[in-house]
Amino acid sequence: MIELKHVSKLYTNGVEALLDINLHIGKEEFVFIVGPSGAGKTTLMKMLYREEVPSSGQVIVDRVNVTELTPDQVPYLRRNIGVVFQDYKLLPRRTVYENVAFALQVTGAARSQIRRHTMQALELVGMLKRASSFPEELSGGEKQRVCIARAIVNNPPLLLADEPTGNLDPQTTFEIMELLDKINRRSTTLITATHNKNIVDMMKRRVVQLEAGRVIRDQQLGTYSSS
Amino acid sequence: MSVLSNLEFFVVEALRSIRRSGLMSIVAIGIVIISLTIFGMFLLFMANLGNIVAFMGSRLDIVAYVDKDLTADAAQVLQTSISQIGGVDTVVYVPKEEAWKNFREEFGAKLDLREVMDENPLPNSFSIKVTSPDVLPKVAESVANFADVSEVRYSGKLIKQIQTMVDAVRLGGLLLSVLLFFATLLIVVNTIRLTVLARETDIYIMRLVGATKSFIRWPFVIEGVLMGIMGGAFGIMILKFSYESVLARIKDALPFLPVVSDPNVLTLIYLSVGITGVLLGMLGGYISVSRILKEKG
Repeated sequence: MIELKHVSKLYTNGVEALLDINLHIGKEEFVFIVGPSGAGKTTLMKMLYREEVPSSGQVIVDRVNVTELTPDQVPYLRRNIGVVFQDYKLLPRRTVYENVAFALQVTGAARSQIRRHTMQALELVGMLKRASSFPEELSGGEKQRVCIARAIVNNPPLLLADEPTGNLDPQTTFEIMELLDKINRRSTTLITATHNKNIVDMMKRRVVQLEAGRVIRDQQLGTYSSS
Repeated sequence: MSVLSNLEFFVVEALRSIRRSGLMSIVAIGIVIISLTIFGMFLLFMANLGNIVAFMGSRLDIVAYVDKDLTADAAQVLQTSISQIGGVDTVVYVPKEEAWKNFREEFGAKLDLREVMDENPLPNSFSIKVTSPDVLPKVAESVANFADVSEVRYSGKLIKQIQTMVDAVRLGGLLLSVLLFFATLLIVVNTIRLTVLARETDIYIMRLVGATKSFIRWPFVIEGVLMGIMGGAFGIMILKFSYESVLARIKDALPFLPVVSDPNVLTLIYLSVGITGVLLGMLGGYISVSRILKEKG
């Protein structure tokens, strides 16, 4: 599914965000990327949906060499990748339904299709009853559910979650991780960047640990810290 | 994924955006109205000026005097030749007897010409009308080249002066219009840019979920077009009502002035004003969103 070959990212200000990363992630895997702030977790995620391009090396997603895409091809890559943010990035003046449907509208989907898929996504994340609410009326956990619904509404094979529980209390964190696990089991590859020790230790999945832009550990059924 | 199938989405987004930036949108539309009205006034002014020049030109004719002893047959041949010159509208042969009669009728009341002279001193002549004042000098020159023509007269100087003035006004007006167009464009661009900035998260999300650049651009282009249409519609209304009231007064006070009142010409002018408004808005919307798309790649 994902292949990173000797990927480095050097910013013009001299900061080395990533250094010679080699990583293979198979279909339907559930991978935690862990490490302290500034370790390069977010940069790594952004490479996958081409918000950033590597200074050297190659990024391959679903057999497509992302590094070689022209700007015109990028939108089509992104339709196959869902992204979940720590700060949800919901559009404030739109209802829950509109926020989720928006992701389909901008790809030019047919109206009937938009309605069906949006309802299904809201059903899956348990937000169907709040469809006509506005984001400001929702709790943090509910907002994150809507954000997840938007990310999966067009059934992408790959879901990226960047600190999805960073703003949530432990109980809600647990619920959101359960939801992400459920989506992963519906054959979606899931990559979650986090520095929440509890969820990593609890879920016991593959853990890739970054430090100062390098992979220092890649462990199946891992925990947050090497033991 | 055609533009048409997404049109509803684009228009809804554009209206949402205009509503959200309320006051600024109103200001921008107001400036579009003012600019388009000035532009339309200039077009109307030019059309009227052109009309007056053409009217004056059509009243100016060339008089070609011919040799005294030209026979009637030879005059007939010459008349045909002159009428074949490009730009000639009508050629009328004026025999010296008729010219003398006209002259006496015009001035005879004021003085008794018989006291001055008994014999008709006037030569035979042709009165030539041309299709447009521009060709006057050329036609006059061609006519002068005929061997039987002894002298050619026309009010070339006056026409030339008018033409020079019209050209100057036309150039000045054109420059003013271009200036006005860019000034208005700048305001439209900046207004829509404010709405672009207000919608940065929208645009970010759109890009993230795989909207193409043109898809992101369309709502802003339509926002501009809607502003252009609104500005254009008001501008046309202002122009139409004010021109019609001025027209009525001129027709009352100066009935001989050849003002433009042909509905076809007026419709064309109003249409150009409207189209300019739409173009202005379209371009404004396109430019305002292009920069942010370029920055973000």
